[in-house]
Amino acid sequence: MWSFSVDAYYGPVLHHPRLKFVFGSSAVQALDLVDRQSITLISSPSGRRVYQVLGSSGKTYTCLASCHYCSCPAFAFSVLWKSDSLLCKHLLAVYLSQVTSTCQQLSVSDKQLTDILLTEKTHEA
Amino acid sequence: MAETLRRVLSSGSAAGTGEGNTTEVGPPLLLLGGPGSGKTALLFASALEAAGEGRGPVLFLTRRPLQSLPRGTRAPLEPLRLQKIRFQYPPSTRELLRFLCSAHEARGPVPSLLLLDGLEEYLAEDPGTQEAAYLAALLLDTAAHFSQVGPGGGCGLIVALQTQEGDSGDALQLALLQRYFPAQCWLQPDALGPGEHCLRACLEPGGRGPRAEWWVAFRPDGEMTITPCPHQPSNPSSDKGSSSGGQP
Repeated sequence: MWSFSVDAYYGPVLHHPRLKFVFGSSAVQALDLVDRQSITLISSPSGRRVYQVLGSSGKTYTCLASCHYCSCPAFAFSVLWKSDSLLCKHLLAVYLSQVTSTCQQLSVSDKQLTDILLTEKTHEA
Repeated sequence: MAETLRRVLSSGSAAGTGEGNTTEVGPPLLLLGGPGSGKTALLFASALEAAGEGRGPVLFLTRRPLQSLPRGTRAPLEPLRLQKIRFQYPPSTRELLRFLCSAHEARGPVPSLLLLDGLEEYLAEDPGTQEAAYLAALLLDTAAHFSQVGPGGGCGLIVALQTQEGDSGDALQLALLQRYFPAQCWLQPDALGPGEHCLRACLEPGGRGPRAEWWVAFRPDGEMTITPCPHQPSNPSSDKGSSSGGQP
């Protein structure tokens, strides 16, 4: 079983030729998301942070900063249930944008950050 | 928070001053066992241990107030320590999620340890895969935030989950939770141990250090004593049950 330690995945991410081998088609889609500046790092005065990714369908998904979680249906299906993927394309895009420093940044209030964390749970397929 | 639990279990045996002054918290830990296997007592012992370390307060989340304070823990039930344990009683999953999502809004000293008792009760309300993952992930995220903004040493996380014999429907959920919690401690009845009501605690520290086992015994008056098992395991033992979640 793979654990969700974020550090474990920086290695393969940095070796570009291996991206497609390790992550399959998610790699290309993730790079596309990075190119389109679709990843935003949201932070509040408290220091807590969360990521949001504007998906190709126009929907916004929330990814946690500290561990592997994305609100998209593919994460629930392929990663959690079927266990045949390590990451969804949104999480991979988040890590790529961290490594390449291409995140957008957004500051919100502490209360707004609470709302973002609370409401992301309700994304349906 | 494998290291705090390890200190609690290790120092339950003879030698006086304990493990030295390391305050490293270790990875998030899942504490597993059937009903009445001592999870709450061990959580509380960890709370007392951390409360005595001179760092931030301890947050103890549980659905219902403890009926009585567990006894026989190594750390004394001093009022100063007890004052540092903040109990919260989220009555529903929604309230628990609200608490975790708004944890960064709270003012005051940053917690050094986050404990949750009875995860299974909160999961029962909302048994979907994504809901379970989100709750686990939010627990980790909250502890990570406290570690980030706290004075140093980090904030540990221990979550207790009640397991049932032979219920394969929960196997997927358990496997999912184990992916979020690198360290685990199993509590299982052990007829070979000392005392009438004795359990074997198997600590898998999640890559840091070897697996280790202790006997946790409860006397009829509720007093808890902890002794190391005489022989430490080399392979997973057969009495681990169906979902032992073999570590890679």
